[in-house]
Amino acid sequence: MFAFIIRRGLLSLLILFLAVSLLFGMIHMVPGDPATVMLGPKATPELKAEYSRRMGLDRPLVIQLGRFYAGLARGDLGVDPFSERNVVNIVWEQLPYTMMLVLAAIGGASLLGIPLGCFSAIRRNSLLDRLTAVMSVAFIAIPSFVVALYLLLWLAVKWRWFPAMGAGESGNFSDQAYHLVLPAIALGLGWVGYIARLVRASMLEVMEENHIRTARAFGLSERTIILHYALRIALLPTVTILGLGIGSMLSGALFAEIVFSRPGIGKLLYDAVLTRNYPIVMGSVLVTTGFFVLSTLAADVINAFLDPRLREQRGS
Amino acid sequence: MTRKKPESWPQSTRRAFLQDTSLALIGLAGGGVPGVSWAVNGDTLHIRNYQDLTSLDSVTSLSAAEGIISAAINQNLLRFKPDGTWDTKLDAAESFEQIDATHYAFRLKPGQVFSNGYGEMTADDVKFSFERMVDPAMNAINRPDMGPLSHVEVHDRYSGTFVLHTPYAAFIPVAVAGPSGEILSRRAVTAAGGRFTTDPPCSSGPYLLKSWQAQRKTVLARNPQWAGRKSAFEEIHVYAMPDPKTAEMAFEAGELDSAWISVETVAPFKQEMPDNSSIRVLPSGRNYWLGMNQENPALADIRIRRAIQYAIDVEAVVEAAWFGLAKVSAGPIPEGMTGHRDSALIPPRGDPEKARQLLAEAQVKLPLRLRLDVNNDALELTAVQVMQWSLRKVGIEVEIDAQDNSTFLTIGREDMGDQWRDVQLFMQSFTGLADPYYSLTWFTSAQLGLWNWERFSNEEFDRLSDLALATTVEAERNRMYHRMQDLMEESGCYRFVTNSVMPQIYRNTIKPAFRADGYAMLRDIRPADTRT
Repeated sequence: MFAFIIRRGLLSLLILFLAVSLLFGMIHMVPGDPATVMLGPKATPELKAEYSRRMGLDRPLVIQLGRFYAGLARGDLGVDPFSERNVVNIVWEQLPYTMMLVLAAIGGASLLGIPLGCFSAIRRNSLLDRLTAVMSVAFIAIPSFVVALYLLLWLAVKWRWFPAMGAGESGNFSDQAYHLVLPAIALGLGWVGYIARLVRASMLEVMEENHIRTARAFGLSERTIILHYALRIALLPTVTILGLGIGSMLSGALFAEIVFSRPGIGKLLYDAVLTRNYPIVMGSVLVTTGFFVLSTLAADVINAFLDPRLREQRGS
Repeated sequence: MTRKKPESWPQSTRRAFLQDTSLALIGLAGGGVPGVSWAVNGDTLHIRNYQDLTSLDSVTSLSAAEGIISAAINQNLLRFKPDGTWDTKLDAAESFEQIDATHYAFRLKPGQVFSNGYGEMTADDVKFSFERMVDPAMNAINRPDMGPLSHVEVHDRYSGTFVLHTPYAAFIPVAVAGPSGEILSRRAVTAAGGRFTTDPPCSSGPYLLKSWQAQRKTVLARNPQWAGRKSAFEEIHVYAMPDPKTAEMAFEAGELDSAWISVETVAPFKQEMPDNSSIRVLPSGRNYWLGMNQENPALADIRIRRAIQYAIDVEAVVEAAWFGLAKVSAGPIPEGMTGHRDSALIPPRGDPEKARQLLAEAQVKLPLRLRLDVNNDALELTAVQVMQWSLRKVGIEVEIDAQDNSTFLTIGREDMGDQWRDVQLFMQSFTGLADPYYSLTWFTSAQLGLWNWERFSNEEFDRLSDLALATTVEAERNRMYHRMQDLMEESGCYRFVTNSVMPQIYRNTIKPAFRADGYAMLRDIRPADTRT
């Protein structure tokens, strides 16, 4: 298991390096001048040149990339030349908001989607199964931003049950959780349907397998068979998908952060791209890509833990 | 082998259900549902800012978003009156007078204290605050605001004199009363390393910076040492909300007391106004125009440029893009400011017949195909689409090229390559300051290849630009700025559109205060029941 994790970890680092290098090149190729955007018309050409120099833009792209990685090796992502703040601090203070949002969304979606999918498989073709199928497809089909806007209109504006904006007071966990409800629902609702359909399909397949028949023949209870044998195997593809889902939710979090005026990495990255604030763009890109790679790695490891066959196959 | 009795799927008994429900209710009661910080609770003002802070130091502050906040925590010698004009009144100064064309004397009110134990404000702090702006070592972004300021002479603890190299008409509105003229403590800023960003070492205004949370909000708290009229609110929460739609929802949800909203929302809100609220459509300092690059071969003939001016129905543009809320402008200088023209040389509705005649005189083969660059913004895109329709009527086919703001801002720059030569038509906008010079300074020959993308170059214009800045005789300045705008229009390089508007919505529980360009003046907002 340890060797498997090490091997997958090294592969993840390589993927991270390639992805970040590619994004670095792409971002710098987009035309635009951060000094002009940020400093406005008052800035003299000399001042603009000074700010470009501070960002290292006066050097060839390869050198800029080399300096970025050299800084990264020292744990230094540079300084935002406009606010003169450390990029690590800027990214670090936004990261928890996005992490909380993504984990709440994926966690909520799993808590609802897995039991729904499981129940649909057990009560196959029942009214509840059909109802779940219709609702799942509906959840998947409705774009998240539409869900967000209607949640905002009804639950925040019309009935005022939930806050319409912000992330809650710092240090007040219940307030932060309260502010998380609507954005997490908006971001995670589509995943409820997706997970439910996936778990249902996997469960149906697993329930037909020989070892389940054998378990029944040995007289094990349905509850034991489902929870201890069938669901464990049926969850394998779901875990993989959840790993990828966390990564894709990072990009999806942007709309929730804008609609609900929440802080977060998505909004930070979006604003930085618009103003071509390259140090912040690269810091945010590194963190989001790293998070994506880490979540897929975690999914692989959990899969290997749940299914020893995978561990053995990959270990051999 | 005995068969185990099959267990059923987990079922909830009535007793278990009651137990679980009771536990959940106890949990809720104990923990309580967290309260939302709804607006209008008397002690706290909740207000939208259109973007987050970058720096509150006058040396490096970048936008009005920062000016809104720094004006509440700092003092200037003079400040703008909260009556929607650019008139000034005394702030930290007990007296302020112009001695001659290059000397201004001031005397501070005694007993004004900087927070965090940095002591009383003195004339030396004024000297420090202004001279660091013109110190080449500081490389201040806002250096141009100070114009030809040479130095400040300190006479005693409270009085001093500003010395300018040459006369500078914008000295009071831009340098003294604007964000660049905020007075900082020499001792505090020096102890902080000579500059700061979002963590000012101290302040002297009616409010103090309590906290700044990046991308979230800035919290200001009443300054207990403030010697002036008591600040109206215990705290002001200023939320960084770039998206006006989010702000509109938050206002409707009762979480904001005041917000700058988008022009398209004004009519729906007026039809169904949120509870206990009002809307004011204020003039904005943002000036929009259609520019034409006269060095592009397709537009080198002035008759073609004049034809474009006459072809465009600006009234239709403003009606469509600004929903009729804004007025057609006659030039970059907004209403209420010296140099403002009541009407342009070209009628607002244009004259398509005259446009066709000019195109015929220039022997243009129709359809004439041109490209129009524009910032990718819904309002500006609407405006150029109406222009496209106007121009099509006279045989000019326009292809609209929308670009994101960062790319768009480089298209006319010479230092970004030769792309400026390909620029033909473009929709541009600038935000002005409290003096007309700032509205016109971008069109001088010195700005060619920087911000003067029209490549407009006129000796008389350049000369008047310098002269108007050096005289303080209002009538003279008025005449010069009128002439400068005439010259711009006569060149055929410009079709002025509007000076835009800034709609603000607010609760009737507050008495709002706005600057002449529509921005909120936090220190002057008071509860509605306050007697002025």
